[in-house]
Amino acid sequence: MTGLNRRRFLQTGTAGAGLMLAGSPGLLRAQAGQVLNVTAYGGVWETAVRECFVAPFETKTGARATVSLGAPAQWLAQVEASPQSPPLDVLIMSPDLAIVAAQSGLMQDLTVNRIPNLAKIPQEFTDACLGKGTYLDYGVAGITYNKDMVPNPPRSIAEFVDRVSAGEFVASVPSISYAITPIMLIWTMAEALGGGVDNVDPFFEAMERMRDNLVFWGGPNDFFNHLASGEADLGIYFDGRTWNHYDEGATWIDFINPEEGGALTAVAVQIPNNANPLAFDYMNEMLDAENQARFAEIMNYAVTNVDVVYSEKLQARVTPWQQTAFPPYEAIGAARNEWVDRWNREIGM
Amino acid sequence: MSLAPSSAPARMPGWLLILPALLFLVAFFVLPLIDNSLRSFEVGGEFSLGRYIQLLTDTFYLGVIVETVVLSTAVTVICALIGYPVAYYLVRHAGRWSGLIVFLLIAPLLTSIIMRTYGWQVLFARRGLVNTLLVQDLGILERPLQLLNTPGIAIAALVHVLVPFMVLSIATVLQGIDQRLEEGAQMLGASRWRTFLEVTLPLSADGIGTGAILVFMIANGSFVTLVLLGGGFQTLPLFIYQQFTTTRDFGMASTMSTILLVIAMTCLYLQLRLVRRAGV
Repeated sequence: MTGLNRRRFLQTGTAGAGLMLAGSPGLLRAQAGQVLNVTAYGGVWETAVRECFVAPFETKTGARATVSLGAPAQWLAQVEASPQSPPLDVLIMSPDLAIVAAQSGLMQDLTVNRIPNLAKIPQEFTDACLGKGTYLDYGVAGITYNKDMVPNPPRSIAEFVDRVSAGEFVASVPSISYAITPIMLIWTMAEALGGGVDNVDPFFEAMERMRDNLVFWGGPNDFFNHLASGEADLGIYFDGRTWNHYDEGATWIDFINPEEGGALTAVAVQIPNNANPLAFDYMNEMLDAENQARFAEIMNYAVTNVDVVYSEKLQARVTPWQQTAFPPYEAIGAARNEWVDRWNREIGM
Repeated sequence: MSLAPSSAPARMPGWLLILPALLFLVAFFVLPLIDNSLRSFEVGGEFSLGRYIQLLTDTFYLGVIVETVVLSTAVTVICALIGYPVAYYLVRHAGRWSGLIVFLLIAPLLTSIIMRTYGWQVLFARRGLVNTLLVQDLGILERPLQLLNTPGIAIAALVHVLVPFMVLSIATVLQGIDQRLEEGAQMLGASRWRTFLEVTLPLSADGIGTGAILVFMIANGSFVTLVLLGGGFQTLPLFIYQQFTTTRDFGMASTMSTILLVIAMTCLYLQLRLVRRAGV
């Protein structure tokens, strides 16, 4: 485009907005270099982040950390829009977006020199982020079911598909509008049924067979409503969230890591280029064994520092990551849009 | 010391009064809208109509566009059919109950749309209130009905959300109609039905038009209800959301939202033409 293109338009607008803000220093960082902007999902996630990571960080450094709530796609878009001066210093990311961000050259390399606790994280997790991030915690996407309605639950994904297809149960599975459905459902089911990242036909054939006995959840709370209201008997869901519901009183709920291995659904952490250097101190707190152990107790999810000692209750619930199916995130990312398009055309919303 | 007459205070130009609102609108609506449109034409830094060609020539996406318009139109028509009698009763017969009726109409709007939609889930699930009543309490059915995740329930929920806009728009106009015109028509021999069709209805067309525009516009962009209640609808807002959350194709999202905007503007124009042609 010549003349006024989008970038120039944005630059002009940003300059105007900057001029307007210049007179409002209170809107800008009051103490440059001493305020860190970190991220968290809402709800119990935010509480856990504040308690387990923000508080020790502030105590040790004397700096302050503000917590922005949202979702990885939004945070990455914010960094993409302003890479020279990112509005966020530490990002919580989904594994596939972490790769996108790393490949875009937007994130910094993580090293043990700058983050000593990184040495306690399995190298596989840092490698999965191309060295520009690592995993904080992880869950398993497996089979969650209502014990009252499903006394004899399916033990594998193949059995799940057969019995749902036969009309024995109504299953609730994530819709295609949920960000990690391509990982936790499409790839996992394709892999379990003899396909893989290069061949997802088995997944689409299975969905066609189950079609009459499926409902779709748009967000995690939606899944719980499906089970609680009887709209579904079982479904594909996360172990940690299942245990959270259990601890909150839904003792009729249970979880199975399928025999083929449920997909490992991790939470990655990254530091954008040009972030506040204190971001490395904060990430060191995030990867600290003691802090992670407290985080795990609150969240009911496994964490990644190998020195973490879980409570007896949590130990029984946590699935070692070696027993999960480790998704090829990079390859899934490359195939994702094609899968989504196929889903739209064959399955619908 | 003499008191010199003070000069007349300078009058503030009228346009200054709307300047804050104008600046706000430009900064947070017009500029983002232009940016969004420009993004839809940009592929790899070059101007391109590629995305528009893809969306407007692929039968699948054309179907999505048509479904978006058909759903919005259906919801608008149903809201008008339900809303008009309610508005008529409210203005002409409710008397001292009118305040209560208006409150009941508005009351649902005081609750978050997400809470209301979850309410629909609780009511119409397989073991929800309605099915429990039909199967266990009354014994009318042997097996629970599949009510959620059907087109009917999604449309019903949308109508539930939007019908107050229609009722209030029509009621406001009905209230302004001089009832002597209706009485005159009846004195000249017109039946009550003919009076309604030839006097009241045309005079209230403006209210129907306003309500239709409001309902159509909101239904056109409706998202939460369709996401939570399913129904199998494939509409542009759902696809736009998908471009952000799943595929991260912001250019395609911009293209879809520009098309949605054009559809909304076109329908707005047609509805305004229709209302004006009705002679109001």
